[in-house]
Amino acid sequence: MNRRDFLKGLVGTSYVVLSGSSVLAPLNALAASGADASDGWLTTGSHFGAFKMKRKNGVISEVKPFDTDMYPTDMINGIKGLVYNPSRVRYPMVRLDFLLKGHQSDTTQRGDFRFVRVTWDKALRLFKDSLDEIQTKYGPSGLHAGQTGWRATGQLHSSTSHMQRAVGMHGNFVKKVGDYSTGAGQTILPYILGSTEVYAQGTSWSLILEHSKTIILWSNDPYKNLQVGWNAETHESYAYLAQLKEKVAKGEIRVISIDPVVTKTQQYLGCEQLYINPQTDVALMLGIAHEMVEKNLHDTKFIEGYSLGFDKFLPYIKGQTDGVEKTPEWAAKITGVSAEIIRDLAKVMTKDRTQMLMGWCIQRQQHGEQPYWMAAVLATMIGQIGLPGGGISYGHHYSSIGVPSSGAAAPGAFPRNLDEGQKPIFDSNDFKGASNTIPVARWIDAILEPGKTIDSNGTKVTYPDIKMMVFSGNNPWNHHQDRNRMKKAFHKLECIVSIDMNWTATCRFSDIVLPACTTFERNDIDIYGAYANRGLLAMQKMVEPLYESLSDFEIFTRFAALLGKEKEYTRGMTERDWLVKLYNDCKAANAGQFEMPEFDEFWKAGYVYFGEGKPWVRHAAFRDDPEINPLGTPSGLIEIYSRKIAHYEYDDCPGHPTWMEKAERSHGGPGSDKHPIWMQSCHPDKRLHSQMCESEEFRETYTVNGREPVYLNPEDAKKRGIKSGDVVRVFNDRGQLLAGAVVSDKFPQGVIRIQEGAWYGPVGEDGSKEGGAKIGAICSYGDPNTLTMDIGTSKLAQACSAYTCLVDYEKYQGKVPAVSSFSGPVEIAL
Amino acid sequence: MIKDAVNTETVEVNPVDQVRSTIYQLLSSLFAKEIDHKTLHDLTSDQAKQFWAQLGSEAEFKADVDVLVAELAKLNTDKALLELAADYCGLFLVGTKYSASPYASLYLSDKPAKKGDEPLLFGEQHQQMTQFLKQSQLQVQSEFPEPADHIAVILAYVAHLCTHSDETEQLSFINANLANWLGNFVTKVTEVDTGNFYQALVRLTHAWVKSDAEWLESELN
Amino acid sequence: MRWLLNIWRTLTKPAKYLTLGSVSVSAFLMGIIFWGGFNTALEATNTEEFCISCHSMESKPYQELQQTVHFSNHSGVRATCPDCHVPHDYGRKIARKLEASHDVYGWLFNTVNTPEKFEAKRLEMASREWKRFDRDKSAACKNCHQYESMDWDSMSKLAVKQMKRAAELDQSCVDCHKGIAHKLPEMGTARAPELIAEVGRGVSGVQVGQTYFTALTKPLFFNEKTDVEAGTLNIATKVKVLEVKGTRAKIGITGWRKKIGAGRVIYYDFGLNILSAQLSKDAALEEGVIKTFEEKEDPMTGLKWQRVEADIWTDTDYLLTDLQPLWDYARSTYSTACSVCHTQPAEAHFDANTWPGMFQGMIAFVNMDQDTQALVQKYLQEHSSTFDKSAH
Repeated sequence: MNRRDFLKGLVGTSYVVLSGSSVLAPLNALAASGADASDGWLTTGSHFGAFKMKRKNGVISEVKPFDTDMYPTDMINGIKGLVYNPSRVRYPMVRLDFLLKGHQSDTTQRGDFRFVRVTWDKALRLFKDSLDEIQTKYGPSGLHAGQTGWRATGQLHSSTSHMQRAVGMHGNFVKKVGDYSTGAGQTILPYILGSTEVYAQGTSWSLILEHSKTIILWSNDPYKNLQVGWNAETHESYAYLAQLKEKVAKGEIRVISIDPVVTKTQQYLGCEQLYINPQTDVALMLGIAHEMVEKNLHDTKFIEGYSLGFDKFLPYIKGQTDGVEKTPEWAAKITGVSAEIIRDLAKVMTKDRTQMLMGWCIQRQQHGEQPYWMAAVLATMIGQIGLPGGGISYGHHYSSIGVPSSGAAAPGAFPRNLDEGQKPIFDSNDFKGASNTIPVARWIDAILEPGKTIDSNGTKVTYPDIKMMVFSGNNPWNHHQDRNRMKKAFHKLECIVSIDMNWTATCRFSDIVLPACTTFERNDIDIYGAYANRGLLAMQKMVEPLYESLSDFEIFTRFAALLGKEKEYTRGMTERDWLVKLYNDCKAANAGQFEMPEFDEFWKAGYVYFGEGKPWVRHAAFRDDPEINPLGTPSGLIEIYSRKIAHYEYDDCPGHPTWMEKAERSHGGPGSDKHPIWMQSCHPDKRLHSQMCESEEFRETYTVNGREPVYLNPEDAKKRGIKSGDVVRVFNDRGQLLAGAVVSDKFPQGVIRIQEGAWYGPVGEDGSKEGGAKIGAICSYGDPNTLTMDIGTSKLAQACSAYTCLVDYEKYQGKVPAVSSFSGPVEIAL
Repeated sequence: MIKDAVNTETVEVNPVDQVRSTIYQLLSSLFAKEIDHKTLHDLTSDQAKQFWAQLGSEAEFKADVDVLVAELAKLNTDKALLELAADYCGLFLVGTKYSASPYASLYLSDKPAKKGDEPLLFGEQHQQMTQFLKQSQLQVQSEFPEPADHIAVILAYVAHLCTHSDETEQLSFINANLANWLGNFVTKVTEVDTGNFYQALVRLTHAWVKSDAEWLESELN
Repeated sequence: MRWLLNIWRTLTKPAKYLTLGSVSVSAFLMGIIFWGGFNTALEATNTEEFCISCHSMESKPYQELQQTVHFSNHSGVRATCPDCHVPHDYGRKIARKLEASHDVYGWLFNTVNTPEKFEAKRLEMASREWKRFDRDKSAACKNCHQYESMDWDSMSKLAVKQMKRAAELDQSCVDCHKGIAHKLPEMGTARAPELIAEVGRGVSGVQVGQTYFTALTKPLFFNEKTDVEAGTLNIATKVKVLEVKGTRAKIGITGWRKKIGAGRVIYYDFGLNILSAQLSKDAALEEGVIKTFEEKEDPMTGLKWQRVEADIWTDTDYLLTDLQPLWDYARSTYSTACSVCHTQPAEAHFDANTWPGMFQGMIAFVNMDQDTQALVQKYLQEHSSTFDKSAH
C-alpha cells in the first residue's frame, strides 16, 4: 500500500479524536500585545538574601544582589534552578493505593512514587475527608500538624501559618515545642542565663571589634552560616568579619577556633585553630575552669554578685563529689588537647577582654545542654558578662545577630491562629490522656510508642497516638534522624499530607501532595537585614504560579471554603488587602519613629529603609543593676548550680554542668572499636538546610560524581584506598549512603563531614526504585541523617542528637546507582 | 468538512493533510493528559477500532498499535484506569530520576553553551515554541499550564501546521523541533515505564513522525 | 525614668505639606535675601531673639526654658535656643534651617497659635527634635557636656554607673535626659495606643479602699506633690487605694521581695518572679514606705524571700477596676505576635519562672512596645503551669 492510499484509508476513521480539545488556543489579544509589558527588574528576597530579578519574555532571566548587599552569597545563583526545576510539584497528586483504599492503604508502599494526578477540588476534599476520619476515630491526638520548619520567606504567605490556621479551623491537633537547630540550647539557657540566648540579639560587632582582645569561636563557623537568614538577608555581618580579619592580621585581636575541623571562618580570618576530639568540649571547659580556680584567675567578685551556686559546683571541679579531679591532665586525656594548652587557655581567657562566641553544633549531641551550660559558667568565672567585647554569645553566626537593630517595628504576618471567638468544627480537646504538645524531635518516638510517658523539661509528656501528619513548607525527611526508623514509623500512619513546591523526600513519603508556588510567584512583604531589621522589602511577583501550583493563601482559602469557613479564614480580605494591611499596620506601629511612605510608593520603590541601629551590649543592663534588671532565671542571677534542674533528678542532666560519656564517641570512646569515625553533619555551606539542594546547576558546583561530598582525612582515606572523586559508602548499623569523596587535610583523623540538607534518595541495593521504599535502602545521594541516631539530648530538652554518630566508610565496589533524589536533565543509558 | 480543533472557522483542506493533522492531534491529546472514561470510550468505539486497524495495517506501526489496542481493552475497571494514570503520572508529571518528563529541552543534546544562562524548564525551547505559536496566532491553553516545549504542544502545533502551512515548512519544523529529540525520549520512556501503554505510545509516535517526515520529503522531491 | 524610654508615637505628618512646604521654603529664602548676604544671614538667624521673633515661642517653650537650669544657674552660663536646636556644623546647619522653614509655614497658618494647639502638637514636635538629637548622638549637648571631662568623683555612685556606660557607647544624651529644657509632652495614649484603646485610660474618680489594676507601667512618687520618682509600678498590678489627693493617690502594693541587694523589687507572690513594682533605693530605705512581714526560703534558688507591703504615691490615671480586659488584650496579642515565626507554646506549657527566659529570648522579631511586652509576659506568667494545672 502506498502512503497516500494508507492515509486516505484513515480518512473515514479519524473522527474519533476530534471530541478531545486541543492544548492550543487562539492567541488572545492581551497576550499578543502585552505579554512582555511587565518585563524588567523587580525586587524580592529569600533566606539567601534580598535581591533583584529580571523578567524577560515572562520568564526570570537574571538575578543580582540587592543594592545594599555588599557580601551576597553565591546561593542566589541557584534561585532560577529552584523555580524552573524539573522536580517541581506540578499538580495535586494522591498516592495510588491511598486513592484506592484510603486509610486502609498499604503504607509500606510509601516512597515508591506511585501517584495519580487529581484536581485541586478532589485533592482538597480527600484532605478534608481524611481529617474528618481522623478526628472522628481518634480525636485531636490522632493528628499532628505541628511539625513546622524554615518555610520560604514572606509574612503573608508563610506556609506553616496558613496550614495551621486552616487545619485548626477543622479541628485541634498535636503541637510541638522547640526546634531541631537549638533544641538543647533554648531549653537549658533560660535556667542559666535567663533567656533562650540562641535567638536573642547580641553585643554589636563594632563593640566586639573595639574592645575584645581575645575571641573564642567555639565550634562556630559564622563565615559559613551567616550566608542565610530567617528573613531576607543583606549580610551586614560580613563587613565586621572583614574588619576582624584585618585585626587578626595586625595582631590586635587573637581569635582561637576550638573545633575538630578547620572551619571556613578560620581559613578566612587566618586565625588559630585548637583541635579538640569531637563531643569532648565539656571536658575541656572543666579543665580550663580547674586551672582558673587553681591559679585564682576567676573573678570571684563577679561570681558572688551576679551568680548563684558556684560553691556547689566547685567540689565537682575538685573531684570531691565524684572522686575525679577535673585537672587539665584529666581533660587532656579525653579531649586530645594538651594540659599545657589548657592551662594557657585559662590564662588567655582571663587576661584581657574575652568574647566567647558559641556555635550551635555542640548542643545538637547527646547531653547537648552541658557544653552550653559549662560555657556560661566559664564566662561567669571570667567575669566579663555585660561588658562590651566580653562575655558570651550563642548567636553571632545567625541571621545578622550582632548587627545593631534599627529598632523599627517589623511587620506582622497572616495569622497562624484562629481569631478570637472562632471555633474549629471538631472542637474536642480530649487528647485521651496524652500530651497535646511534644518535644519537636520526639514525634517518631511518639508514632512508634504511643502512650509512653517520658520526662521533658521538668514535666511528664505522654506520647499521643498519631495517625495523620500534615507538612507544609517542611521537610522532616531531611532534618529528622535515622531514616530507617522513620520508615518504620511512617508505616503506622494512616494519612500524610505534604504541601511543597518541589518533590522533597517528605512529599515522596506522603499520600496527598499539593503544589505550592515558589516565593517568586506571589506578592509578599518581609523585613530585610534579619536581626538588623534594616528595612522593609517588597517581594514582587516575578511570574504567575507555574503549572497548577497555587500560593499558600489561595490553597488554604480554598480549603477553608470546603469547611464553609472562607470568610472566617480570610476575614473577607483578598491577598492584596492583606498585603496592604500588613504594611499599614507596620507603618502605624512605626509612626513618629520611622517614616514610611504610602503602600503604593513603597511597592514601586521595592523597599523602605529604617536606618542604622545603635551599638548595644548584651546583659549590660543586668551588669549595671542585677536587682532592677534581673535575668529571667528563677533567682534572677546566673545559675551555675540550678536547684530547679537538680530537683528534676535527671540522671542525664544534673544540677550543675557535668561531663558525661556519650552513647557513641570517636577517638577511643564507646563504639569507636566498631565504627571508628565521627560524622559531622553540620549546616551546609551551599544550602539552607535542604532548601536549594534541588537546584541542579548550582548543585553541580559542589557535588562529586553527582553526589553530596563527604570530606575525608587524607590518612584515613589512604588506609581505605580512597581518593577524591571516588564514590564512598558510609555506613553503620542504622543505615548506609553513597557520597562523593573529597580528601582534605582540613579534616582530622577519625572525622568526616557530610553536610545536612542533602536530599534523601533511597534506592534498593540493586539500584531499583521499589527498593528505595524498603527499610535498609541505600541513599544514592548522601543524606547524613540516614546514619544518625534518633535519641533525645537528655530528659531536660529531649532535643535532637544528630552529632552523636559514629560510622565507617569504604570505597564503593558495587554498581553505582543513579541519584534518585532529584530529576534534573535526563541521563540516558544508551 | 472538518472543524479545526483550534480555530473555529471552517477551513477547506485536503483530506490527506486532514488525516495527518488528526493523527498528530490524537497523539498530542494522549500525551496531554491521562486516559479517562470518555477518552477510553472514544478510543474503543467501533469507529476507533477501524482506525486502529487501518493504522496497524502499516508494518512499522503494527506492533505498537497492537499493544495499544490490547492495553486499551484491559482498561475495563476503574482500578485499571487509575493504574494507567499512575503510569502516566510517574512518567510525565512527578519529574524524578525514574520519570521521562515530556519536555524537548531535557532531551536535546546541545544544551545552552554557558551554564546558568537559561533555566532548565521554561528555557530556550519554551521561548522558541512560544514564538512559533505566536506567529500562527496561537498560544498554549490556560488549562494546560505547561511549558511550550511539552511534547503535547509540539504535536498539536504540527497538527495545526498540517492544515495551515506548506510541506516545506512542516518538514523543517518537524526536523528541527520534534524528530531531533524523540529518539532520546523513546529510550528514556522505555527504560522507566512500569506499564506497556506509554512505551508503545512513544514508539508509535516516533515511528509516525519518522514516516511522516519521510513522506513529506518524498512529496517534496 | 525607665518608662520614658518607651517608644513615643506621633501622628505622621500629612503628605499634603509638600506644596505648602515649598512656599515656606521660598519665604525663608526671601527672608535671607532681605537680610543681606548668606553668611551674615545665618549668623543673624542664629540668635535667640531671631528665634523668638517668629517662632511663636514667647508663651510656651521659652517660658519653660526659663524655669530650668539651662537658663539660670550659679555659673551664669545660659543655653539659648540655637545652642540646642541648630547643629553646629555648617552643612547640617543649613539643612536644619531649611527644615525650620516648616515653622514659617506653621506661623503663617496658625498651626500652634493657641496653648491647646501647641499642646496637641507638642509630642510631634518633641519627637522630631529627639530624633534629630538621636541622629547626631546629642552633639549639641556635647558641645558643653563632654563625657571625657566629666568628674566621676563628684557624682553619685548610681550616676557614675549610668554615665560610664553611656560614655562607653557614646550614647545620645536625650536617651535619658528628656524633658530637661522644656516640659515633657503629655504621653497619654502615645504609649501602647492599641492597648489603651482596648482597656481605656482608667476610672475617673478612684475610690479610697478600692482595689485597681494598672493599665500601663506607671511612675511612683514619694508624695502627692513631688515629681521626684520613687520607682515604677508594673502593668497589670493590683493596688489598693489608701488616700487620694488631687490627681495623686497613695496606694498599697502587697507582695514578696527577695532578700538580696536593697530589696527594691516587689513580686506578685512568694518565689514567683512576677514583677509588681520596683522602688528606687531611696524609696526602699525611706521610713514608712515598706512594711515587712514573715520570711521564707525558696527551695528552687535557696534565696530568702520576705512578704512586704509598700505604701506609696502614684497618679490616679490608668487604674482599672477589672483585670480581665488586660488579659484579653494580652492573650490576643500573644496569639498573633508570637505565632509569626512558629507555633506559640500554650500559656500553661511553662511555669511562671520559666516564662521570662523563654519570652525574653524570643522577642527579637516581635512587634510590641515595652508596655505590651511587660503585659504579655505577666499574662503568660499568671496563666502558666504554676497556676493552671491542666496542661500535660
